[in-house]
Amino acid sequence: MDYTFHWRPVIRKLPDLLEAALVTLEVAVLSMVIGILIGLALALIRMSGKRSTVWFAVGWIEIARNTPALLQLFFFGFGLGAFGFHLSPYMIVLCGLSFNNAGYLAENFRGGFNAIPDTQYRAARSLGMSAIQAYARIIIPQVFRIVYYPMTNQMVWAVLMSSLGMLVGFRELTGETQFLASKTFRIFEYFLFTAAIYYGLVKIILGASRLIAWRLFRY
Amino acid sequence: MKRGYLAPVAAVAVFFILAAGQDARADKLDDIINDGLVRCAVVLDFPPIGYRDENNEPVGFDVEYCKDLAAALEVDYEILPVTWAERLPSIVTNRADVVFGGTSDSLERAKTVGFTIPYAIYYAQAVVGIDSGVVTFEDLKGKRVAAAVGTIPEQEYLKYAAEWGVEDLYQGYQSENEVFLAVAQGKADVGITTNTAVKPIVAQYDTVIAGPRMPWTTDYTSVVAPRKDFGWINYLNLFITHQVRSGRYQELWGRFVGGEAPELRIPGVMY
Amino acid sequence: MSETDSIEFFTSFRVEDLWFLLEAAGRTLLISVLGISGGTVLGIAFGWLLSIGRWYGAATLGWVLDVFRSVPLIIQLVLFFNFFPIVGFPLDPFGAGTLVLVMYTSALVAQVARGGIEAVSISTRRAARSLGMSYWQDLRYVVWPIGIRAVLPSWTGVALGVLKDTALVSVLGYMELLRASQILITRTQEPFLVLAVVGAFYFALSFPIARFSERLERRWSHD
Repeated sequence: MDYTFHWRPVIRKLPDLLEAALVTLEVAVLSMVIGILIGLALALIRMSGKRSTVWFAVGWIEIARNTPALLQLFFFGFGLGAFGFHLSPYMIVLCGLSFNNAGYLAENFRGGFNAIPDTQYRAARSLGMSAIQAYARIIIPQVFRIVYYPMTNQMVWAVLMSSLGMLVGFRELTGETQFLASKTFRIFEYFLFTAAIYYGLVKIILGASRLIAWRLFRY
Repeated sequence: MKRGYLAPVAAVAVFFILAAGQDARADKLDDIINDGLVRCAVVLDFPPIGYRDENNEPVGFDVEYCKDLAAALEVDYEILPVTWAERLPSIVTNRADVVFGGTSDSLERAKTVGFTIPYAIYYAQAVVGIDSGVVTFEDLKGKRVAAAVGTIPEQEYLKYAAEWGVEDLYQGYQSENEVFLAVAQGKADVGITTNTAVKPIVAQYDTVIAGPRMPWTTDYTSVVAPRKDFGWINYLNLFITHQVRSGRYQELWGRFVGGEAPELRIPGVMY
Repeated sequence: MSETDSIEFFTSFRVEDLWFLLEAAGRTLLISVLGISGGTVLGIAFGWLLSIGRWYGAATLGWVLDVFRSVPLIIQLVLFFNFFPIVGFPLDPFGAGTLVLVMYTSALVAQVARGGIEAVSISTRRAARSLGMSYWQDLRYVVWPIGIRAVLPSWTGVALGVLKDTALVSVLGYMELLRASQILITRTQEPFLVLAVVGAFYFALSFPIARFSERLERRWSHD
């Protein structure tokens, strides 16, 4: 082994890395919120069966699910740039992740809705609830419970996917790591620390998710 | 064992012992000569120093230097295309023996890789969008400025940006071509690049014009090799001086960049 | 090439470039097939080991696989690519990329496989054993056919995920589809066209498999 590790410089930069981890978390959470809203809309549009709008939802879902997330990010970067739409690196990552999340979550939601029998909706209506009440009080809570774990998974994915920000010039955790490492090019040392931070982030998310589930689904 | 066999067997044994011993002492230069191959990492988004022709084949000043080096060593060459951020790791990970990639010889990088004497000298210059209104360096303040990640211009500019408090307007790209594209598309107002690249870029895009020279010092770029392979670095130093002495340096500079090649001398110091 | 002015640094998109992309798509397919098949075989073995449920298995193997699932693939690629040479075992981008993909896939498949094995109820397996089947016969003729139906959709999801994730091997310099697209964007300066073409290539690789799996799933659910 003809290599001497330089750990000290990395340890000195640890605060910078942790700060960047917060940026990662922020963009992942935001992209999940947007992704859930759009994903829900896409699922409802797709199930509505109206020819004029279904193609839009299907197109979004299939493109999001069948092309690499990195390609989607590039599209929001230079692809849109070709038409004069300029997004900042932060917005590129946020839009790319939201686009991707929405596509995957839409399919989860659709599966969730399909798992709830129609009879429940009719029963709710026959009890005197309006359509909106029936959805809000009967259907959505059950769907939510079904898609809760897939959603947690998607959240973990969002964190992992945000690492692609490095390749579009966004200084989230991975981008910051590359930036710091590129002064001395001690790539291995820096990326090892970053890997550990990601592991910690994922554990925190899963822990929080379990805590929320325990709180929400007690009965 | 008959006596007749002993001599050849002993000879073979001695040969292997010597060969093994030699192998342990063989340095990079020995390896390259014995393998018959020198592996050059070259940055190919650095026209006219390194780029791809229409058949996606590598060409440019740095590519020619690699070929010349291989010819001097009497070995074959292999071009490893790398991005700015990949060029030094290519040495650390032993994917390349040498980097021709306009690498500035910073003291920080020298903690990880070895540098030769300068083999080409550049200065940093901006290309700017035609509507950006940027004329002097001070005009960069408040503009969206782009550069390639992991380059010296990036680090130098960010020092100014920090002073001005405009770091969030900076955009870092994985390759210099993305920087040019960003300026051409209008994603960025200013792209920081190298003086040699300005002419071809400006010729390529209608929306991009030459911008001001950057205030930091001249960019002395060196050939990069593994840090501990002194014999190999010595050889490369000699190669660089021979390129100048033979006139090849001027010839290639004239062909790809045009005009008089800069003198590879640092005023006021002995290199 | 003798005059500076006659050198062209950028040239427009040509039909030949489609071949360039097609070749790159072939390499994407190659590294995907290697990564997915290697990862699946390993992953099934790991999943079986985990399903046996010894505590030291979960503590060591389970933990290692968990790390592979919790760290972005791009970081794994960069880390291992830089780590192999340090221990005197330099790998080219293809070798390092394949190895990391196999490990990454196996970590994902292990979870799927474990789920599949656990989808077969204990009473079914006891019944098989009491019919005189050996442990391996039980695995081969009872657990495998039932389990595979339970987890085929998840496995397809993993496989398609890995197919798209091979785009990340481009950061090591392997000339697959995404890397080729970057080279073409650099040369032609036509990002939208190139990205659209490359997107179509990926779509053509991924979408048919997704559809086929859906149909298979539907047919099996009617049995």
